[in-house]
Amino acid sequence: MAKDKYDPYQSFRQMSELWEQQMNTLFQTATNNSEFVNFAKAGLESHAKYMEQLRKNQELMASVMNIPTKSDLKNIARLTIQAEEKIDALEEQIWNLQDSFKAINQENMGLFSELVKVTKQMKTELARNAKELGETKKMKAELEALRSDLAAANDLRAEIRELRTELAEANAVQAEVQELRQELAQFMMKADKEQEEKDLVLAGAAGK
Amino acid sequence: MATQAPLKVPVLDYEKEMNRWKEVYKIISGPEPTIDHSPRQMVWRKNKSVLWHYPAAEKKYKIPLFFVYSLFNKPYILDISPETSVIGGLTNRGYDVYLLDWGQPGYEDNDIGLDTYVTEYLERAVKRALRHSGAEEISMVGYCLGGTIASIFTSITELPIKNLIVATVPIDFSTSVAPGKWTEGMKDGMVNIDRLADVYGTIPAEYIFMMFRSLAPFYISPYVSLLTRAHDSRFVDKWRRMNMWLNDATPFAGEAFKQFFNELSKENKLVNGGLVVAGRNVDLKNITCSFYAISSANDNLVLEPQSLPVMDLVGSEDKTYQVVQAGHVSLALTGLFAPIVDEWLSSRSEKLEGAMA
Repeated sequence: MAKDKYDPYQSFRQMSELWEQQMNTLFQTATNNSEFVNFAKAGLESHAKYMEQLRKNQELMASVMNIPTKSDLKNIARLTIQAEEKIDALEEQIWNLQDSFKAINQENMGLFSELVKVTKQMKTELARNAKELGETKKMKAELEALRSDLAAANDLRAEIRELRTELAEANAVQAEVQELRQELAQFMMKADKEQEEKDLVLAGAAGK
Repeated sequence: MATQAPLKVPVLDYEKEMNRWKEVYKIISGPEPTIDHSPRQMVWRKNKSVLWHYPAAEKKYKIPLFFVYSLFNKPYILDISPETSVIGGLTNRGYDVYLLDWGQPGYEDNDIGLDTYVTEYLERAVKRALRHSGAEEISMVGYCLGGTIASIFTSITELPIKNLIVATVPIDFSTSVAPGKWTEGMKDGMVNIDRLADVYGTIPAEYIFMMFRSLAPFYISPYVSLLTRAHDSRFVDKWRRMNMWLNDATPFAGEAFKQFFNELSKENKLVNGGLVVAGRNVDLKNITCSFYAISSANDNLVLEPQSLPVMDLVGSEDKTYQVVQAGHVSLALTGLFAPIVDEWLSSRSEKLEGAMA
């Protein structure tokens, strides 16, 4: 079984990890002081100074030998980067234009849909108006018919008025006839009375 | 009469040993491992910087992610292998991911400062990512110094940043892993790197490598680890990728290095105030979007006290701080970062309708 087999690496690993940790701690302890920092500072400065001088000499030699240096390449590379930046700026301008066109298109689409809506509405209204006009014409004809009916009614009214006048006159005649009838009745009653009296007188005279 | 058991002598597993030394031989004689990236496409390129787009395997969220990595290292640690890729982990979880690879500055880039990086590179790249994705907002994710840059950027930009995530981020430089006297010498002005930065233009990658190695110059445990587990080809593959990345330092533009060294490290302007980037005053109080800071418990490069003060400095109301059991590199190397980010971000990334959980 593999479990029973000897693995020398496990203890080696543990030992090495411990050793690494201790060595790193030792390094940090040994360098964690002002002297080391001063030493690093001096090293850094002298290295920078040396490199500055070296670069200066390189540039000088290259200019004497008329060969391009890293600085020349840097300038050329920067031109390419500048061109890229201009393309990026142009791309963003194109985006702005695209966005503007899109916004205008949307506005136009809105306007068109509004126009279509208004046109449809107008069409509906026109149809309604035409229908209403037909109805108005019909109403007008009916009105005219009514007017002629009214005129006829007026004539009838005048005739009725005349009839009424005539009726009034007939009533007056009737009243007069009534009066005459009454007078005649009174006269008849009077005549009857006088006849009776006359008869009584005559009867009285015959009795004597 | 009791008989004594014979002494058991452990024997070597010869097969295992053969495998171990075969792998060691392969490492010594073989070529460097190749890095297989997650599927990606280039969106924009400027100078040496490239903006990459890693499309979501199945898009589930409206808000894309924008990764900003450190200027000190190469960002392929975020996509180092298909099994443990942070970016792959996030695209598989339904996020569209953008990554700005700063590239390696050359001699001609000596005058690129932090302000140029923030406004001319990062801001333009975020604009392009927003346009490319068609999203109205974007989430920023900054790792290590990339988190510092993402925080500076978010505090000054007008662009719509929905969320800001920073991991193992150095914000407060009043403490550091460097020995006390070194830090003191730097703060007193005794150690000045301006002249060196000016003469080199761009600080060579070897110097950057040495700068970090000087913090712990005895470096044998990873090699012992390799030897201990060399029989395991999966471990060897992972180790080789990590080792390649660790030794693959990147040069640092001189102007940016001076600004980083003087304004951030020496004067601690992110905490004390007074940092001006492209004429705009950097105040982390201006960060009002949802904010998430992650620290690694075993980080031997960026200590937790360097990250923690950011929680008081940002102006966000929705802010979360989390310490995870990982190291500075292992958080990205193991891919652990992806599920941690997803857990916090999923509820803040506007889930698409119809997307499966």
